[in-house]
Amino acid sequence: MFDLSGKGQVTGRTRRLILALAAAAATVLPLAATAGQTVPPPAPGTPGLSYEIWVELDAAAKMLLGKEEIVWTNPTKDTVPDMLLHLYWNAFKNVNSVFLREAEAESESQGRAVPEDGEWGWIDVTDIRLADGTDLRPTFEYILPDGPETAGDQTVARVRLPAAVRPGESVHLRVEFRGKIPRTVARAGYYRDSFFIGQWYPKPGVYEEGKGWNCHAYHQNSEFFADFADFAVHITRPRRFVVGATGKPTDSHADESAGTTTTTFRQPMVHDFAWTADPRYLKIERDFVASREVTPREYEETAQRLNLPLEAVRLPDVKMTLLIEPEHKGQIERHFKALRAAIKYYGLWYGPYPYETVTMVDPPFRTDSGGMEYPTLFTAGTSVLTSRSELDPEGVIVHEFGHGYWYGLTANNEFEAAWLDEGFNTYSTGRVLAQAYGPGTIPFRFKGLPLAWFLNVPMVFDFETNRVSAIQTVRFDPVTSWSWKFYSRESYGANVYARAATLLGTLEGLLGEPTWDRIMRTYAMRFRFRHPTEADFIGVVDEISGRDMTWFFNELVDGTKPFDYGVADLSSVEVPICGRGVFDSEGGRVEWTSEKVREAETAALKPKTAGGPPAPAPNYRTTFVLRRYGDAKIGGDARVQAVVRFDDGTTETRTWDGQARWTRVEIVKPVRASSVQIDPQGIWLIDENMANNSLGTDGLRRNVSKLMTQLLFTVQLVLHFLGSWS
Amino acid sequence: MGAFKAIANGTGTTVRKARVLVILYIVNLAFALVVALPILALVQRELGHSLLGVSIRPFDYQWIGEAMFRHGESLAAIEAGILGAGLAYLILQVFLYGGIVGRILDREGTAGLGAFAGDSGRYFGRFVRIFLISVVFVVLTLGLVMKLMTAVFEPLSKAAITEWVPLILSNLHFLIALLLLSIVHMIIDYTRIAVVADQERRVLKALRHALTFLKTRFFRAWSIYLLIVAATVAGSVVFYVVLGRLSAPTVVMVVAALIWMQAYIVFRIWIRTLFVAAQAEYYRSHPY
Repeated sequence: MFDLSGKGQVTGRTRRLILALAAAAATVLPLAATAGQTVPPPAPGTPGLSYEIWVELDAAAKMLLGKEEIVWTNPTKDTVPDMLLHLYWNAFKNVNSVFLREAEAESESQGRAVPEDGEWGWIDVTDIRLADGTDLRPTFEYILPDGPETAGDQTVARVRLPAAVRPGESVHLRVEFRGKIPRTVARAGYYRDSFFIGQWYPKPGVYEEGKGWNCHAYHQNSEFFADFADFAVHITRPRRFVVGATGKPTDSHADESAGTTTTTFRQPMVHDFAWTADPRYLKIERDFVASREVTPREYEETAQRLNLPLEAVRLPDVKMTLLIEPEHKGQIERHFKALRAAIKYYGLWYGPYPYETVTMVDPPFRTDSGGMEYPTLFTAGTSVLTSRSELDPEGVIVHEFGHGYWYGLTANNEFEAAWLDEGFNTYSTGRVLAQAYGPGTIPFRFKGLPLAWFLNVPMVFDFETNRVSAIQTVRFDPVTSWSWKFYSRESYGANVYARAATLLGTLEGLLGEPTWDRIMRTYAMRFRFRHPTEADFIGVVDEISGRDMTWFFNELVDGTKPFDYGVADLSSVEVPICGRGVFDSEGGRVEWTSEKVREAETAALKPKTAGGPPAPAPNYRTTFVLRRYGDAKIGGDARVQAVVRFDDGTTETRTWDGQARWTRVEIVKPVRASSVQIDPQGIWLIDENMANNSLGTDGLRRNVSKLMTQLLFTVQLVLHFLGSWS
Repeated sequence: MGAFKAIANGTGTTVRKARVLVILYIVNLAFALVVALPILALVQRELGHSLLGVSIRPFDYQWIGEAMFRHGESLAAIEAGILGAGLAYLILQVFLYGGIVGRILDREGTAGLGAFAGDSGRYFGRFVRIFLISVVFVVLTLGLVMKLMTAVFEPLSKAAITEWVPLILSNLHFLIALLLLSIVHMIIDYTRIAVVADQERRVLKALRHALTFLKTRFFRAWSIYLLIVAATVAGSVVFYVVLGRLSAPTVVMVVAALIWMQAYIVFRIWIRTLFVAAQAEYYRSHPY
């Protein structure tokens, strides 16, 4: 059994053995599998899908000509009568596609969302038949899996099979297709003679037992979902092009008469295949040598923290390839340094990188294909003018490589639960960058020049920028909405990236770092090469933490309630030794007048005898009010923690279950309180108002004075500038 | 007269007329206080008693993000107020320009408040008309000339095969815009000087004086302008370098930073009067 669960860690060597066996099986599978022929169902983790694709790039006509052999094995107990195929490039065919309609509705047409005349892209299935020659073309039809409102869209097609595929049986399709490469839309396309080719071939959806095919239309705010497969792709292009692709190049030969070169790339156990071709690429190869990058002490600490044997946390070596534009040559080492950090920390925290290669692409000028992930290949993106302090391109390199773990390995459905990839990866990126680089400056630019060259631009950690985005977006959508059902593209982005990352950071604080690290590792390894859902993640959280954290997901992840607890009021006043009024006394009543009270207090404060012990200090009644300003409530065993600090340096802590709208707390102590603060450890990153988390009894603070003087100065400068136009 | 001599003489004039600086500084500070007061009150309310105020940074991304989120709608509502205040300040500055030019050009006269206000009132109407002419010039420069530049640059940028080309063209475009604006500013400065120096009541005639004057001395006059711009840039660099060293949140440093920032405002106001004084020296040294 191909068990990669958290408990059954595999070493790099074992993993490679398993992958080699899987690859060998995949080589045999297409030969054995034909329609209606019964073959044993694939073992978990072994792909029930394989592709062999021959594709030729016609660089002048901007066309792809392809042939494809798909072998799909029914892994379920259902009998499957048809197959659904993604034809993603039809999203760029005309303005009736769901993608372009959504883009126009969001006024994205200002950018490159809608192609200009002559720049459309499309894909035609010119022939589709079974391996035995049965023509399926007559059954080919475009369908609307996301409802009639998507009419006109041609990004999903269905073919009916002559015989339903029974459980464990395989179907072998032979497909021929032509694709018109768009002038780049959604990171796929060309600029002049630079090409980035993603989502380009007919690709089956994911068959889910009892539910049928999961094969959504291509939406503007969504990425992808596919089954793990073994790929062999033969790419033919004009000889002058340098090519990079998913997987490992295994063979290359030139055709002198045609002036072309064909390179074969193979990669088992991935769920997509992308490639790029550009005559100007510089190709640089380096090795990630684990023994050089990770110290024995780091291995030991990691193993100890994750409660795993040392062998389970050891990292394998990885062949790194960089395709970079010549004008960015000076940044080659920056690219490799960032990639090494990403391979190291993702590997140590979330499990060893399971593939032999990773290709990092600095996308060609104006292909707009930067910042995107594909299995074993990703695009970064940089500028000729960069500031080291901006962590750009480092941030995008770490982020896009990191997708290889979440989208790539714990391969969730990005249409229906984008946050399980984007949120997890945004959170992880922040951790890696903080560990490897520390904070970076905000990338303010003017006319392409980094302002960090000239100004003291503030440094921030990713979790800070994420938090600011997160609090703005809570009221719009649950994090868990389906990608195209968010209120807007901004809400989609802020929720699935920033808010999800902020919630994970909050959960980390709540459960504690050691527990959290084990949760993330277990989730990443247990669901490696699978398609986990939110429920799977909650299951791991509950299992490892030993707590029921369902409330957290219900209230904060699946909801739209703002989270804000705060301190509303604080007073710390001397408690009178005796109060005024009429009091019952032995056999009668006594009135304590103001004067009598004063005399009693004076007497009480005097030493009883000369040289005797000093009079007792007066007591102070400290009262504070905690409020739940937001609608979201904490739950389970979580509590609002309030720390009261006193003038003598002592502290007292009180907790509150946070269910009511407010609570008043009183402490009597012979010292005055100086402040009260909730969440002193900064656990609740999702709290939308940190300023009200504390109250002091004193007034203006020096940093506030400084801020005010700077604000005044800024206004003065702006006015002066305005005056210069008079 | 050479450019350096004009600037040196102009500097002497601004020192002798230091009261002009005082008046302009007080106006700037008072107006800024009025505009900034709601924001300062907001900062005090949010942070004055919060422990966040202990660690708040001058550009605190998180707090600014939070505050924008909480008060974004209110800020939008007072946008009109801010625009109104800006317009009022602009008109006030047109008014004050009369005092600046009048007092700088009056070699023997005092720079007292009365004389300053008198000049401000005396030239206000004419300076308003000059301001309107300057708006036309700016619109022509940024609109027409820069559009033409864009038409020239755009095909080059579109045909680019590396990012260097659009990057260089974009910066070149911006630099040319700045240089053109500096010329517009200079022409308008000389027009104001001509109004006062020649006691010219008709501003178009004063503009003609200025253009005639600049026709034969353009590059020397422009060098005066650009040298003062260079001095401003140099002063600003020094200011920001020193300010960076005054960042510790101690009482002494906070006070030192406050004084340093106000000194910089005075410096900028002084530069503004220096533009007038140096150009006036140059204008008067070449009677036509």
